[in-house]
Amino acid sequence: MNNSILQTRDLAIGYPAGKRLGMSGNRRSGNRSKIVAEGMSLELREGELVCLLGPNGSGKSTLMRTLAGVQKPLGGEVLLSGTRLDRLSARDGARLLSLVLTDKVLTGNLSVYALVALGRYPYTGWAGNLSPRDEAVVRHAIETTGTRMFAHRHLGDLSDGERQKVMIARAIAQDTPVIMLDEPTAHLDLPNRLEIVRLLKMLAREQKKAIVLSTHELDMALQTADRIWLMRPVDAPHGERKSSIVSGIPESLVLDGQLEQAFRRKGFEFDLHSGSFRFRHDAERTIGLVGDGVRAYWTRRALERIGCRVVPGTAVPQHVVVAGENGTGHWQFFDGSTRNPHKLQALSDVLTAVGVSASSGEVVR
Amino acid sequence: MAVRISGAQASDGHAWPLLSPKAGMLFVLLLALLLLFLLDIVLGSVQIPLESVIGILLGRGAEHPAWEKIITAIRLPKAATAVIAGAALSVSGLQMQTLFRNPLAGPSVLGISAGASLGVAVVMLASGGAANAFAIRQLGFGGSWLIVIAATLGAMAVLLIVLGIAVRIRDNVVLLIVGIMVGNITISLISIWQYFSEPEQIQDYLIWTFGSLGGVLGPQLAVLGAVVALGLLVSFSASKSLNVLLLGENYARSLGMSTFFVRVSVIAATSLLAGSVTGFCGPIGFIGIAVPHLTRSMLDTSDHRFLMPSCCLVGGILMLACDIVAQMPGTQTTLPINAVTALIGSPVVIWVIMKQRNLKSSFS
Repeated sequence: MNNSILQTRDLAIGYPAGKRLGMSGNRRSGNRSKIVAEGMSLELREGELVCLLGPNGSGKSTLMRTLAGVQKPLGGEVLLSGTRLDRLSARDGARLLSLVLTDKVLTGNLSVYALVALGRYPYTGWAGNLSPRDEAVVRHAIETTGTRMFAHRHLGDLSDGERQKVMIARAIAQDTPVIMLDEPTAHLDLPNRLEIVRLLKMLAREQKKAIVLSTHELDMALQTADRIWLMRPVDAPHGERKSSIVSGIPESLVLDGQLEQAFRRKGFEFDLHSGSFRFRHDAERTIGLVGDGVRAYWTRRALERIGCRVVPGTAVPQHVVVAGENGTGHWQFFDGSTRNPHKLQALSDVLTAVGVSASSGEVVR
Repeated sequence: MAVRISGAQASDGHAWPLLSPKAGMLFVLLLALLLLFLLDIVLGSVQIPLESVIGILLGRGAEHPAWEKIITAIRLPKAATAVIAGAALSVSGLQMQTLFRNPLAGPSVLGISAGASLGVAVVMLASGGAANAFAIRQLGFGGSWLIVIAATLGAMAVLLIVLGIAVRIRDNVVLLIVGIMVGNITISLISIWQYFSEPEQIQDYLIWTFGSLGGVLGPQLAVLGAVVALGLLVSFSASKSLNVLLLGENYARSLGMSTFFVRVSVIAATSLLAGSVTGFCGPIGFIGIAVPHLTRSMLDTSDHRFLMPSCCLVGGILMLACDIVAQMPGTQTTLPINAVTALIGSPVVIWVIMKQRNLKSSFS
């Protein structure tokens, strides 16, 4: 299966010496080239959706820029469709790889249609006139992204989600085998995020495009990516910050603990079951919980949120029992001092009762 | 313009939007330009009937030989200069606004006009000790090749400095401030130069700064026309790239555009256009900033292939209108053109900006 479209060999990315204006006041670091990551050998195949993950400052954007040819590599090489990136003409490169950036577009009176049509720049003559084929490609891109109904509108009149779809339509109109997107779902609400991801997934599946997107959304990446490129900071000598990259299918990265390592911080823990990070509460007290089903699950969540360690059963003096059916249900709270439970109708009352008993407990002690 | 998409109907009956604005708009603008051109020639301190003016323009001569002289030697070149200057300044302003991604950019704001003025000041004020003083005085204000070349070089020097800084700074607001500061430095150099100059020379220079469309006659008009034509040619050929530049430099590069080439092209064109017009007519403000906004809101497009020719037309129209007001029809007085462009133009721009609610979203 050799349908790889983009490869890197021993790639080093970063900033060359003396070109880091305004990066820091530190002269010594300004005189040396700053390597963000090195020794990267990656491969991107047709029809594959790759999520680029990594904490802030790990070099995701630098990698994207280098792969897209906007920034020069410090070492190694990038092969796009078998040709070294620096041997490709700008025009040929633009026919192989398109970008969706977070840059704000100077909209002017640019209509959606005109903006998508700009994607045909690498194919048109000096005057930029669209051929019938160019027009067909533009229209197809607009229909694929579902932006048809606002094709005549100005870019300034669109919502963030609509605008992102239009920018993706522009990339589709560029008709390249590789599309790279820098945080395409940032600032979008959940339905829009899902829609964008579904669209990208569809492009990879049906049009055999290779898609790389950087994101901070772990859940989404774990659910949709065919592969994850995970950048994580590693300790380097002299207190420098460097990153290394691992490539793998999402599930393996979770099971290996790679994902957890990359994002590990104080106060968080990675939940292997849900595949997401949670606040780690330094629980001061333990509360028992009896019950099952959805209500018990959310009761547990609520108790953990206010800082309790929740254990199943009634072995602990203070415990909560989830009682009754969904519609008529209530909670019983045993505060440990009396045998009779407090019967509570709302979850918020449970939290209040638990909180009150905590403070009164302290007074006793 | 062959960009209009043949009215293809989509399956659901809604036509796809057109890339081009209404072509009829260009025709209306052209008509308005011709009308104002005629009006500018007809009106003046000496009253000449319309029939005689048309007769003279058609080469049939007139009852008074003096009229013929007034029309062909004074009013016709002046109207032509107005159209050329309006077109040149508007197109250079349009390019600057797109390149710098800033609605306030224009030849006068980023110090280009100041640079041209410095060039002219160097020539005019340095002549005190120089042997060519007499020659320059003979040629009148802004009349010589020397002044045009000095203005163009001055404009280019300032623009190169601003652009050299632009390479290092990505922030447009910072860049704008830098441009204004470079302009201020240039102006202060001129003041220092003035301080050490003879009063007559200062007066010459001051009168030059008021701006005048009247000094460009015969061969000078040909030179101005040729230089501006060259500048417009360079500008028009950059239209496709300027369209892509609306997306920002990163997108432009990812689409295979050479940002270096476009920057050089815009610098060269703007220096030629703004430099030569400033050299011949003095530093005419406002047109370069205002006309692109007017044109964009009138045509409702951001396609530079249409904006460029439309800016030429609107710029010409506005300059002619200003010239008509400046010569105060029915009186013997003439106002300095530079004062009139700002006096008439600024309210127009304020009105357009108040009306056009999306100006901010267009640029910020």
